[in-house]
Amino acid sequence: MIYVWPVAVLTLIYLVLTSNFTLNNIVAGMVVAVIVLLLFRPQSGNLAWKRLPTAVLASIKYIIRLMVDLLVSGIQVARIVLSPSMPINPGIIAIPTRCESDLSRALSAHAITLTPGEMVVEISEDGIMYTHMLDVTDADEHVREAQEMRETMLKKIFE
Amino acid sequence: MKDVLQIVLYSSLFIHLLLTAVAVWRVWRGENVVDRLVGVELVTTLVLAMLVLVSLIEQDSIYIDVALALAALGFIGTIALAKYVADEKLF
Amino acid sequence: METIFQLIAIIAITVGTFFSIVGVLGMVRLPDVYARLHATGKVGVFGVVLLLVAAVVWTPLGWARALLLIALLMVAGPVVAHALSSAAYRIGIPMKRPVRNDLEQK
Repeated sequence: MIYVWPVAVLTLIYLVLTSNFTLNNIVAGMVVAVIVLLLFRPQSGNLAWKRLPTAVLASIKYIIRLMVDLLVSGIQVARIVLSPSMPINPGIIAIPTRCESDLSRALSAHAITLTPGEMVVEISEDGIMYTHMLDVTDADEHVREAQEMRETMLKKIFE
Repeated sequence: MKDVLQIVLYSSLFIHLLLTAVAVWRVWRGENVVDRLVGVELVTTLVLAMLVLVSLIEQDSIYIDVALALAALGFIGTIALAKYVADEKLF
Repeated sequence: METIFQLIAIIAITVGTFFSIVGVLGMVRLPDVYARLHATGKVGVFGVVLLLVAAVVWTPLGWARALLLIALLMVAGPVVAHALSSAAYRIGIPMKRPVRNDLEQK
């Protein structure tokens, strides 16, 4: 019963790939999705039906936020590359996280890599992310603020 | 308007071809292993862009299927090669 | 309506080509592997995403697959960048002219 959502998502991807929405194809997609899930048996958490709408809304807000971050980071890196003097001060700084589960930690690292001028190099056992930045001068407070905002958004999705 | 779109498409395809040549040159004269791997990743991305452009020129969505397969294979291949470089073994 | 879609396609293709050029230029100009990953991993993928936006509005029947490809690229790009930079750090490739390094004194 916990596989309802994965089966739905995988069937949707199958339908998009084949672009054929007849009944036969939907049934075939479901069979393929169930076979894939039985082969891999992912550890899926229990889903609370009651707080589904808030989670979906928070996810949409988070995805829009990521899009804006991607745009800003593209423009920033382009400005650095195109300027003749190359104004970079590279370095690796440590960013602590308070995320407990593996999934939210991974999503947080993914979001850090998408934000302007940052890229996660290593994650230690206690959850400190060592992040390579193109410009590390007076970066600390700015980074901490952005990290706290992302963590509150992720908490809204997962708790 | 359609003529402008065609001109933009063909010139963009030509520019991407030149950029792919530059990226292949970077792979050939790389400084170290990871530098070459970054070049290979860049070549994959540029070939992906060229496939999307060909799909726009020919008005045929089959090339986007090819681009999907190339994106998935390039992703898994780069991850596997990075793990092999770091750990000296695959599994 | 058709003209608006064509205009969107033209703008998206022009800006996407510009970002592809920036990605390759960053690959050539930036000093070391870590900085190069910023250019290729973000800017390069950004160029392809903009070309796919053009494909979404202008290719018949291909829009769903193009959206799927955009999602795949946005998930895969940072993962590849992290894998390559982690591999570079483990085999001990140094940074050129670093200002500070917290990972060294761990």
